[in-house]
Amino acid sequence: MNTATRLDRKLQLEFHRGLLEAAPDAMVVVNVAGEIVLLNVQAEKTFGYSRDELLGQPVKNIIPEGFAERIIADGTRSAAEALAQQIGTGLELIGRRKDGTEFPIEIMLSPLESAEGILVTAAIRDISVRKSAEKHLAQMEGRYRGLLEAAPDAMVVVNVAGKIVLLNVQAEKQFGYSRDELVGQKVKNIIPEGFAERIIADGTRSAADALAQQIGTGLELIGRRKDGTEFPIEIMLSPLESAEGILVTAAIRDISVRRAAETNLAQMEGRYRGLLEAAPDAMVVVNVAGEIVLLNVRAEKEFGYKRDELIGQKVKNIIPVGFAERIIADGTRSAAEALAQQIGTGIELIGRRKDGSEFPIEIMLSPLESPEGILVTAAIRDISVRRTAETSLAQMEGRYRGLLEAAPDAMVVVNVAGEIVLLNVRAEKEFGYNRNELVGQKVKNIIPEGFAERLIADGERSAAEALAQQIGTGIELSGRRKNGSEFPIEIMLSPLESPDGILVTAAIRDISVRKAAEADLLQKIDELNVSNEELGKFAYIASHDLQEPLRMVASYTQLLSRRYKGKLDAEADEFIAFAVDGANRMQRLIQDLLSYSRVGTKGQELLDTSSEEALQRALVNLRAAVEESGAVVTHDPLPTVLADGMQLIQLFQNLIGNAIKYQKPGVPRVHISASRNGAKQWKFSVKDNGLGIEPQYFEKIFGMFQRLHKREEFAGTGIGLAICKKIADRHGGCISVESEPGQGSTFSFALEGVKESHASQQG
Amino acid sequence: MLEVLLVEDSPGDVRLTKEAFRATNESVRLHVATDGVDAMAFLKQEGAYANAPRPDLTLLDLNMPRMDGRQVLARIKSDESLKTIPTVILTTSTADEDIVSSYRLHANCYFSKPVQLEDFESLVKTINDFWLTVCQVAA
Repeated sequence: MNTATRLDRKLQLEFHRGLLEAAPDAMVVVNVAGEIVLLNVQAEKTFGYSRDELLGQPVKNIIPEGFAERIIADGTRSAAEALAQQIGTGLELIGRRKDGTEFPIEIMLSPLESAEGILVTAAIRDISVRKSAEKHLAQMEGRYRGLLEAAPDAMVVVNVAGKIVLLNVQAEKQFGYSRDELVGQKVKNIIPEGFAERIIADGTRSAADALAQQIGTGLELIGRRKDGTEFPIEIMLSPLESAEGILVTAAIRDISVRRAAETNLAQMEGRYRGLLEAAPDAMVVVNVAGEIVLLNVRAEKEFGYKRDELIGQKVKNIIPVGFAERIIADGTRSAAEALAQQIGTGIELIGRRKDGSEFPIEIMLSPLESPEGILVTAAIRDISVRRTAETSLAQMEGRYRGLLEAAPDAMVVVNVAGEIVLLNVRAEKEFGYNRNELVGQKVKNIIPEGFAERLIADGERSAAEALAQQIGTGIELSGRRKNGSEFPIEIMLSPLESPDGILVTAAIRDISVRKAAEADLLQKIDELNVSNEELGKFAYIASHDLQEPLRMVASYTQLLSRRYKGKLDAEADEFIAFAVDGANRMQRLIQDLLSYSRVGTKGQELLDTSSEEALQRALVNLRAAVEESGAVVTHDPLPTVLADGMQLIQLFQNLIGNAIKYQKPGVPRVHISASRNGAKQWKFSVKDNGLGIEPQYFEKIFGMFQRLHKREEFAGTGIGLAICKKIADRHGGCISVESEPGQGSTFSFALEGVKESHASQQG
Repeated sequence: MLEVLLVEDSPGDVRLTKEAFRATNESVRLHVATDGVDAMAFLKQEGAYANAPRPDLTLLDLNMPRMDGRQVLARIKSDESLKTIPTVILTTSTADEDIVSSYRLHANCYFSKPVQLEDFESLVKTINDFWLTVCQVAA
């Protein structure tokens, strides 16, 4: 060997050394004789020798089997053949340290042509860790592979160092790697963030803690495939104690589809949320899988869940029966069919709250085509109130039936829609129907007019208004029996607030008999009026026509008396005197009767009349009587009243005439006064100091032909006060007397006043 | 002589009126027709009354058989030659409608017969004094 060659070789070795030291593995260069010619520091450390102890030594010292033989065997082959066979192939062998201990190694050979022949560079890696892991995993794999492969999700088992120790076929597919490419690799390669950190963190905790924290919790992370593409995943972790420490099994689900759906929904949500939230009902949007994809705040409240607790969940959780089935059924039909079947149809189901309580609901479905397929929007209404109302109505029926049946009238309870909801046996009899034929029917069937209209009108008013208007008001209508015959009825309405709104209880009374009686009464009144009129005429005509013969009797008895008195005997004179007296009395009687009948038949309109003037006229008519008796007649200022002037004169005249006439010895005093009697009336009093009247006669004296004195004491027909009463009655004010025998009497009567302005003008 | 026609169906009244005039005025000659038909015959001097005088005054009762006082009054007052004869109603009626309808038919005066004898005599005297004494009538 020449110097140049040696130098050359030395340089070449130096070059190799630099490379060797840069390598991460233990590197040993061996010649074809199996002797170590070069090594790096990693090799010194790995095998526990110093460089000098190894250089020139057979490689068998540190790798007892499989390596030297291979090189030697290789010596029989060409370098090219060895190259082709060994490059890239990891050989697993056993290394022996200086201290004699052995450990598993993997060597990678790379031949190197040199002046000395072919040198083989061996990269030696201590694989004790991997080997022990593989051993455990092999055991575990045996145990878990079946489970792993059976899982629907990608499953990856990771150790606390964040390295993948096991995976299933799903995981290979999901990430696009073969099993060998992943086992032993960092899990960060396929799940760059959020997983490894979590495991390391979990390493500081006990397995129990980790288990408690993470089981069942879905983490949403990003997965990365071999080709570098990323996709959203959800992982579920479950820690597993093993000989190597805690292993974490991650079930990895590709949630791209769900994410896309979520994005769609988010868009849709944007579009529909406003509508949903505006709805008065709880609204839940469900996909054909029966999962809730959207809901409004009312739905949250109604069912006691938060939005997040419901989205993605089965609608069966909140509506256990009857809804999901319906949607699934609909999935097999076209949207149009579903639409046609379900729109506008209320379905009564049971809702279940988070707390497990159930409540009656009514749902209205409306299908909605979306990129995800048909979504069904369900408007859900809590009908507990309505149900309660129905129940309470049933209770009410129980409570009121007794009352209804006890009522003497036909009773019908009607709702504001005019439908009969309740009735009693009398109502059945009265109208000739069975209960079942009437309940739920329109009340118009039995009361064709005037009742239903009244209720409908009431529907627009408040209950209070209806109550105020109708209570106690009898309305006369016509009822119709089943056989079509009609009969007069009177109904009394009493509104009744109920959960269903106002119900009206109608007490219905057949008033045929009363109506007939009324008609009869009206006819009687007519007859009586005719009779009264005839009587009035009769009194007038009779008294008038009686005058004629009376005049004859009176005139001729007077003529007889004048010409023959004292010319016949004493008896004849007496007879003639009786005849004259009788004729005179009859004359007064007839005149008074005529006056009496004239109060009714000859009465004038009631006009503003000065009562003082009327009094003066009466006093003029009475002048002779006043003068003869020496009576003192006084009066207060008297008002203007509404009266028939002539009759007022007659009234004063009769009363004052009586006051003067029925006197005891002494000066007759009569005083006429008037005082306010309420806002409208004047009370007139004619007070005398005469004989007075016993209380028992107070009523009687105003009757026709009623007299309290003998003819010898006081002449009179007994018609005067009857005329007064008739006049007072005609003026609307009653006449009465206050008296004490011996102390005088006060006759009072009331007359309607006139407005102050009139009175003052007249006064 | 003063010619007075009394149209009156009641003999009692006829007698009373005769008595009253006799006591009042000797020169009154009282002629009597007992109903409207007779009265018109007398006034028109027809039949048995062909020679009847034209009365200076007619006293006419209202209620009579055959033709009543209202009809007689209407005929007198629509007859050019008869309407100037003072025609005074003397009747028992005090009815307003009788009074009003009589004046509507141009009765010259209306009296109700008083019941008392003295009052009746006094009324006849008044009629005599006014219609047969004071009053100027058409010839």
